[in-house]
Order: sequence, then structure tokens, then C-alpha cells
Amino acid sequence: MHVLHPDQASASSVSIDSVSEAGPSSLILDKAGPFNGFTNGNGFIVSKTNSSTNGSSPMRNGNLKHISSIARVSLPGTTLYDDPYVDREEFVRLVMQSLRDVGYIESAATLEAESGYSLEATEVTEFRQYVLNADWANAESLLSQLAVVDEEALWEARFLIGRQKYLELLEARETTVALQVLRNELAPLSANPEQLHALSSLIMCSDPEDLRRRASWDGASGTSRQALLSDLQDFIPSTTMIPSRRFATLLTQSRHYQRQRCLYHNTPMNAASFSLFSDHHCDREGFPRVTTTILDVHTDEVWNVAWSHDGLRLASASKDKTAIIWRIGSDAEPSSRECMVEFTLREHSFPVGAVAWSLDDSILATSAENLISLWDTKTGKCIHTVDSHSETVSALVWLPDGSGFMSASLDRKISSWDMAGKLRDDWTGVPIRVTDMAVAPDMKRLVTIGVGYVATPTTADGVAESTPPPANNENGTAMSGTRPSDNRMIVYDLKTKTVELSLPTDGELTSVKISANSQFALINHAPDEVHLWDLTEGRLARKFTGQRQGHHVIRSCFGGIDCNLVLSGSEGEYSSQRITCLGPLYLYYCLDRNVYVWQLDTGVLLEVLPGHGMGSVNSVAWNPRNGGMFVSCSDDFTIRIWERLPCDTGGALSSVRDNGMNGKGKGKVRP
Amino acid sequence: MGMKYRRYLAGERIYGCSKCKTHLATIHSMISRAFNGQHGRAYLFEGVVNVVEGEPNDRQMTTGNHTVRDIYCVKCATTLGWKYDRAYESSQRYKEGKYILERNLLVDVQ
Repeated sequence: MHVLHPDQASASSVSIDSVSEAGPSSLILDKAGPFNGFTNGNGFIVSKTNSSTNGSSPMRNGNLKHISSIARVSLPGTTLYDDPYVDREEFVRLVMQSLRDVGYIESAATLEAESGYSLEATEVTEFRQYVLNADWANAESLLSQLAVVDEEALWEARFLIGRQKYLELLEARETTVALQVLRNELAPLSANPEQLHALSSLIMCSDPEDLRRRASWDGASGTSRQALLSDLQDFIPSTTMIPSRRFATLLTQSRHYQRQRCLYHNTPMNAASFSLFSDHHCDREGFPRVTTTILDVHTDEVWNVAWSHDGLRLASASKDKTAIIWRIGSDAEPSSRECMVEFTLREHSFPVGAVAWSLDDSILATSAENLISLWDTKTGKCIHTVDSHSETVSALVWLPDGSGFMSASLDRKISSWDMAGKLRDDWTGVPIRVTDMAVAPDMKRLVTIGVGYVATPTTADGVAESTPPPANNENGTAMSGTRPSDNRMIVYDLKTKTVELSLPTDGELTSVKISANSQFALINHAPDEVHLWDLTEGRLARKFTGQRQGHHVIRSCFGGIDCNLVLSGSEGEYSSQRITCLGPLYLYYCLDRNVYVWQLDTGVLLEVLPGHGMGSVNSVAWNPRNGGMFVSCSDDFTIRIWERLPCDTGGALSSVRDNGMNGKGKGKVRP
Repeated sequence: MGMKYRRYLAGERIYGCSKCKTHLATIHSMISRAFNGQHGRAYLFEGVVNVVEGEPNDRQMTTGNHTVRDIYCVKCATTLGWKYDRAYESSQRYKEGKYILERNLLVDVQ
């Protein structure tokens, strides 16, 4: 209490001084408040009380007095600082707009008085009010005063206002008046009969809800008037009417820019991570580039991995003819997290190639050769097996609307199934043997990749030199030197099944994924490339290189906190060399067994992560819930979980966690 | 060595594995029908697809000593024939790197 009294006194003395001297008491008090608050918890409240008592009627007078008395500051030049890019008037007007937007009306007025700049002409303020209050007649008459010079532009602007008026009348069920507006006001303004026709057809709408849906318009009580204002902005010079929240727009751009420049971006962009006071930057140490757990239960090559939608379970597909459902605990700390085999799905007669979780994670679909199996993920029991494809099923995709799933096969058939695994539809006439397929989250597109035909095998020349180790030889190399195959990407409109895009590619395509925003398709392209296709523009946007891919199926994925990364495994090719002086000995070495991580926007290769043993890293998958975790699977029989460097190891991760200690069926770890 | 889809061939006549129909070779790559295998008539091909090669070993054949590897169907692992790695007789060198498929183990596929 001793401390409080002097503080209280100083707070009030500050406020009294400021009122008499500088006018806007609220301004000074707001500053004094937090200051006192820091030194003394009670001081804040005291000054606040002062400000609110002042703030009722006396403050109003004080302010008016103040503004009339405030001296205009005259500054040399027209720019904010020395640089020629920022116009001072523009900057000050943006500050005024921002202040007013958040409610600092007095401050804005003070700034207006001190700078001599005004935010906008009174007509602009009036015009905005007219539009927001649906005073269409006044809004229209003001239009021409707002420097809409071009006659044609004026017509267009008036048409936009008329359209809003018409729609609002329809919404209010005043059909007769609406019709008059259409005939007398809109018809003379529009040069486009189709536009008018579309508007007139809206009269048939059964109710306001129907109208809003068909017109893609959210009604008088929605944001439609605001939207109209921003549309009208196109016809009014921005110096006359500043676009709304312009400062925020610029800051958003700055944030995007900093986000793009942030190589190891891995934190969500919110107010906490994006301070205006410093540039955004994510540390490389926070990036998942360390193996924290190795799941070592499969007894042969692991070919594919898929996360459940809740990010707590992982399905893996292996050459050992099983799929495994792993439970990956939610504990953030890897050393205490439990990772265990929940179910081993053994009833496969062949190696397992595809795994896919239903939307609610209750069913896992797997494929082995031409068979598709559905598994109950609560019991690990096989619910259903279908045998309708005549060749290997290469892709299984659950539909984002929850209606079922689709399968694609090398037999040139795509089938669609309901939730219970009952056939709904066969797509016939697919011109390729499909090697992978993906459905866009917005359900607009289906992207398939595959091969039209494979040419006749011809010579086996040169096989002896480039043959991999004998035990693993599958004779693929004998095909080198054949005619090029018709590798192709085909994009379908999912609803109409019409081909939107059909493009031949130079190399074999093995994997396709679609980004969460449905814009991009990520396709592995042999040799040694991952292609990013912009589906909305139908063009190749970027290529990612560095990894190896020759004859095997390598799958890439999107990753990162906001889909800002691309990841891919790499093909561990064996190379043989005869060391003649030592006799008929072959030296085999692996060229690559790394995980590759690129930045999506720039294509910059960020990380090449070693760790997996001999052979290829076949597939990668980013955890959909945990932005800092992904997995990779390899020919070395293992799955690796990658995360940021754990804090407590102090930078040196000597050994990864040993899951094998925890009992039977748990993941094991190799040092 | 990683996941790999079986290869598919195109052409007027495609030979497949009699057990599982996996594509193996086309008539265009056939060099000769005048060979004999363990199950009777066999064909010599320039190249075949979707087979796994076994370990090399030396075999005495009617035309002399050869180093050969048995070849197996990549899907069902049936032994389909062999591949010539090396012919000791210079007159038989043309077979090196070529493949034998036994006729009785083949079936026409599309």
C-alpha cells in the first residue's frame, strides 16, 4: 500500500497534466495505464478508473477543444522516410483507416488534424453508408461524383448496384417491384443478354434460401453489401476510396512473403508466431529430421504406409504378405510414447501393395495382387474380400464424401464401391493400366496415372553389366532398349467421368497424391523426378529432383504444417563392379537410401535424411494431426518415425528408442 | 529391391505363364522353336519379362557345356525355363543372354 499511493498520485497527475495540455486524455491515460500496471498491479486499475470518468462528457469537450487547438505539423517532402517508395499521405491515411476500423476514433481525428490529410472525402463516407443501408437511389447519384470518369465503367457500376437492389427485392418477396427494376433499370444497362436471362430466371426461385443458393449470394443480412462495395471499388480510384482494411491486406502479404522465405517452416502462422516487430523464421532444429522410433516387425520389404485420419494409427503394407496396424501414442515426448502393433493382418495370399483408411478410420482397405480386403480396425478381422479385378490392384481411395471407395488396377479398370464393399460402378474404357489414382478433396477431379502399353521385349544386350545381385534379379533390366511406352496422366471430372486432361509423359509414373486444397497433384516420375501439376491450370508447376527412381514404385507425399513441403523416398539401386585383380568378385554398393524433403513453393531441396538400410525408401507419409512428424518405409523391413531433435538430448541423439524392450509385438529398434 | 508392378506386353501374340497368366514374352522376340526342355518342346527368346533368375550353374547339354540360370515366374514362382549366361562352345555363343521358355508351361494371353 505504501507503493500504491505515490503511484496513484502520479497517475492522476499525469492525466490532469495531459488533459490541460495535450487534450485527448484517453490517449495519455491508456499509455499511463499499462505502465503503472507493470510497476504496480493496482496502479493500472486506478488509472483506468480515471480515464473512464474522464471519458464520459468532459473528455468529449476536451477533445473537440484539443483538435481545434492542435497545430498542424508541416513536414518537408512528400515521403514517409528518405526512401522514395512510401508516400506519406498514403501511409497516414492507411493509419487513420486502421485506427477508425478498430474504434480509435479520437486518435484518428487527432492524426487528421496534425497531418492535415483527411482519410476520405465526405462523399465517400456517405456513399459507403448508402450502400450498406441499401439507399440505392442516393448511392447511384453519388457514383458519378466519385471520379468514375469512364462512361462505360459508370454503367457497369450502376448495373452492380441495380443487381443488388433486384436481388434484395426478390429476397423480400417483392417480385413486382423487382421485375420493374429488372426491366427499367438493369435491362438498359446490360450489354449481356445471358446475364439478364440468368437474373430473370431467379424469379422462379421457390424461397429466399433457394435464391441465395442459385445466385451464389448471401442475402441482405449477409456480407453481400460489403461484397458489393468491394466490387464497386474496381470503378472508383483507390485514392478516392481506400479499399477496406488496406493495411491488413498489406500485412497479410508481408506474412505470406515471410512464410515463403521461411525454409524450415513448421509452426502455424498465428499472432503468436508472426510478430510485426520481427521477421518470421523457423529454426532448422525444430524441423523433423531425426529418427525417434524404428518400427521393426515386418519380415520383408515395407512398400507402403498410410496414417489414419486421427493421426494415432499407422497402416503399413509389406512384401511379407501382411499389413500391420500400428498404434502410435499421442505422447509428445518420443521416449515415453507407446508405439505398438495393434493388429497384424495376415490373411493376404500375396504381398500387400495399397492401404487406405476410411474417413472415420473404422475400416482399412488393403490390396494384394488382384484382391481387395476390408478390415475392421477395432477387431483386426477381415470383413470382406472382393475379387473383381483381373490384375494387380494398384490404388485404393476412400471418397471424401464418405460414400465408399474406389479401386484402380493394372487391368485397365476403375471400380467404385460402397462402404460395405458392394460394387457400385465400373468405369470402362480406361485407356491405361492404372499404376496409381487419387481423388481431390473437393471431389471435382480424379487423377490417374499409368501406362498404355509396353513394347515388345527385344534385346537383352548389356544385361550382364548392369544386373543387380543375382538373388534379387527380377530381370527388369532386360527391358532396357525397348520402344518407349505410352506413359500417361489422365485427369477425369469425377462426376461426369469425362477426360479433362490426358497427357503422355516421358517416363514411368508410380505415385500420385493430391494437395489438401485440391490444387496440386504430386506425381513420381521415373527417372529421378517428382512432378507437381497444377490441376486448376492444367500445367506442370514444378519439378523436384535429387532423389533416385528407376524401375521401382517410389511414392512421395505432401507435408508440413500447411502443405508447404514435398517428401519422397528414393531408390536404393545396387551397382556392381568387377574387381578383376581379386578374381570374379562383385562389389555391390547402394547408391541411395535417403528421404528427400523439398520446399513446395520454391523446389529447394531442404533435407536429405539418411538412416534407412540397404534398398529403396519406398514410401513416406506426413502425420495429418501432428505437423512435426512423418514416417518412411523401406526395403530394410523397417518404418522410421521422424521428428524434431528431442530437447533433452542436448543435440546429440546417440541412439533411438528401443521399443523391443516393451514386450512381444512391439516395435524394435536397431542402434 | 522395392516394389515393382509386373510388366505388360502388347502385340498379336503374347505368351504368359500357364499357371497365373503373367505376361512373359511376345512372338516378336522369339528366335527359335527348335529347342527341347524338361517338358518337351521349348522356345528361345531374345528377351522375357516378369521372371526371377536363379543362381548360375554349369549344365551339360546336347550342344555342349553351358552356364545357365533357371528362371521363375515372378508371381507364382513356377520354373519356366532358363537363361543362358555362357556357352563354352563358340558355335553356341549366340544363345548367351537369351531365354528358354518351355512350351507346355506357356499359354496365350491378352
